[in-house]
Amino acid sequence: MKKHEKIIVVALAGNPNSGKTSLFNSIAGTHLKVGNWPGVTVEKYEGFVDYRDYKIKLVDLPGTYSINAYSPEEVITRDYIAEKRADVILNVVDGTNLERNLYLTTQLLELNPKIVIALNMYDEIEKLNIKIDFRMLQKLLGCHIVPVSAVKKTGINEILDHVIRTYENKIIIPSNKISYSEEIEKAISELQRLIETDIVFSEKFNSRWTAVKMLENDLLVYSYAKQSPAWIRLEKRLPEVMNALENKLKVSIKQYISEDRHAFVRGAYKETVKDTGGEKKTITDYIDSVLLNRALGLPVFLLIMWLIFQFTFKFGELPMEWIQNFFAFLGTKANILLPEGILRSVVVNGIISGVGGVVGFLPNILLLFLGLSFLESTGYMARAAFVVDRVFHKIGLHGKSFIPMVTGFGCSVPAFMACRTLKNRGDRLSTMMVIPFMSCGAKLPVHVLLIGAFFPASAAGNILFAVYLFGILAAVLSAKLFKSTIFKGDSEPFVMELPVYRMPTLRSTLTQTWIKAWMYLKKAGTIILSVSVIVWIFCNYPVNEKMNQEYEAKIEVKKQDKVITAEAKNEEVLVIENELAAKQLEYSFAGRTGKLIEPLIRPLGFDWRLGVALTAGLAAKEVVVATMGTIYALGDAGEESSGLTERLRRDPVYNPAIALSLIVFVLLYVPCLSATAVFHKEAGEFKITMFYLFYTMTAAWLLAFAVYRISRLLI
Amino acid sequence: MKMTELKPGEKAVITAVNAQGEIAQRLVDMGLVKGTTFKVLRKAPLGDPIEIQMRGFLLALRLKEAECVGVERSGG
Repeated sequence: MKKHEKIIVVALAGNPNSGKTSLFNSIAGTHLKVGNWPGVTVEKYEGFVDYRDYKIKLVDLPGTYSINAYSPEEVITRDYIAEKRADVILNVVDGTNLERNLYLTTQLLELNPKIVIALNMYDEIEKLNIKIDFRMLQKLLGCHIVPVSAVKKTGINEILDHVIRTYENKIIIPSNKISYSEEIEKAISELQRLIETDIVFSEKFNSRWTAVKMLENDLLVYSYAKQSPAWIRLEKRLPEVMNALENKLKVSIKQYISEDRHAFVRGAYKETVKDTGGEKKTITDYIDSVLLNRALGLPVFLLIMWLIFQFTFKFGELPMEWIQNFFAFLGTKANILLPEGILRSVVVNGIISGVGGVVGFLPNILLLFLGLSFLESTGYMARAAFVVDRVFHKIGLHGKSFIPMVTGFGCSVPAFMACRTLKNRGDRLSTMMVIPFMSCGAKLPVHVLLIGAFFPASAAGNILFAVYLFGILAAVLSAKLFKSTIFKGDSEPFVMELPVYRMPTLRSTLTQTWIKAWMYLKKAGTIILSVSVIVWIFCNYPVNEKMNQEYEAKIEVKKQDKVITAEAKNEEVLVIENELAAKQLEYSFAGRTGKLIEPLIRPLGFDWRLGVALTAGLAAKEVVVATMGTIYALGDAGEESSGLTERLRRDPVYNPAIALSLIVFVLLYVPCLSATAVFHKEAGEFKITMFYLFYTMTAAWLLAFAVYRISRLLI
Repeated sequence: MKMTELKPGEKAVITAVNAQGEIAQRLVDMGLVKGTTFKVLRKAPLGDPIEIQMRGFLLALRLKEAECVGVERSGG
């Protein structure tokens, strides 16, 4: 490997939909490092490229329209640039939407003049016959502008050349500053003089920028400035300057400054860009006249969602089966290869089945994210939010909450991950909190088993439908509750760009999808691995040696039996083995827990056996059925096990009221461990995860109790 | 008059943004400042939010946010 002396850190900044990520991919190729920005769930992408004598490190900053520190994305971008952590800033602008994009540029220039502008989508500009006077625009902004096309991969080397030249201070263009109105400029220079009395501070932060931000009432800049000795004088003078200014301007200084910036951009745009296209109808207009049509908008939206949903769970079914078969095969192999004993049991029943369960979700996750990434990069996602926002705003959520919630019907794991599109913390956490109430695929076997056992076949469909509705209702009411209490007022305003429709490149869609899938595997996988071992221990220990020996002896006796046929013999041996399994489970920590929590679940109509099933169901919801099978000594109770259905029906302890109560409890209580692990990773706060466990448990208990009591009266 | 009083297809110019805090900032950052001309394109199927076209791009905003924007019809 070549040794590089110098590393240049280049930060990519730009508006959402400016093609920043695809330019990042075009430059860095596959040399990616994905992580999170510290403390927030905003993804952080880093890439490396060797060019000339340099190693260039690319950092993809989150897309923002402005850097006023309202959203986490803006804070990250602002801090990164303000603290001069990057040597050069590569500002990616959408050339077809230059006026809006240059607004951010003006803010970036103020913060750090070492900027190169990548004028993206240049191929489209040429096609649209838009003429840009580059020389003039460069002079007005005071930085290099390089026309590029991230999709066509043109201009990439030129960008790197310019980045290096800017880094080496070989800039030919004198930097220009955005001039504000006279009154503002006067205030700026007065504050600047005061700030510059502290040399250390003005070395770290641009003094002009600091002055402007102070006038804009930026709290973060205040907190920086308060540590400076210059603050003593600033603290006295600042309110006087601002009051005088506000009286003169009649609007807030902040708004006035923004207006000035827009005016500057407007001027620069008018002077340098000739758009001869006029007001002709674009493809976007035609597509939107259908997709956002007042009559068709909703049906089309539902159709698209239905398709994504079908795509995810239908196409995912087969590979999921393959993966499960593969892990089953691994299990059998391990069974043969490893000597009988604890190690084998841990590997087969703990590790292989646990990790297999997690990896089994992978096809669904890949497909879902492929679909979502497609919707996002074509530009439909913003429109979906536009179409349904009314409904979701009513219950306190955001239009963008819809997708994660629908995904929850399939599986909570990708649903939690899909919440990342919600930028506001309150909106995101409220949505995540209610996702478990959307009945996921793994809960279906439980519903089917219980409904089948206790209700006539003619009513089964309706009851199942009612169960789903019940979950939705619980989600809606909970969302309303959260948004009017703990996440009160913490809501994202709906001011959203509807980007022009674009066909995404296959490469960037696949890269995005793969990155998400890999993060899921890496993070959730490690947690699941350890937890599945713990659950296994929980269900298998302590071992009752005496009882084991008694049963072994019984089996031995049976095997020696010469009266009955071999077939009947095997069957009887199986019965004995299952009885042992049931007794052992009762004896294990899980069994003891079941008995321990019996007083807690008694009011819901559950006995200790259901306690065991519910405890084991924490690992995965399907396990509830399997455990009920084991505990009723019926062997491997499959999802359509009629044996278990019969047994439950005949058991005098059970009745339809208990069945309903159990359905409600399983529907609402803590989802499986995989989901909880992912929830924790996405929420990022321990206390939120604790609250989520507490809330789902409490809601499940209270509603199951209510359902049990009411149905006892009615049935 | 307010932006919410306009019908789809109507053009207008912004006269004032009467909001505070985050909402004001978001509106201003997206380019909704005094003197900007725009056209109301449509309402969402359920009547809220609305979509406008300005500065060469498309913007959706809730009626609640559009309430804060003072406008004047500019024909067309």
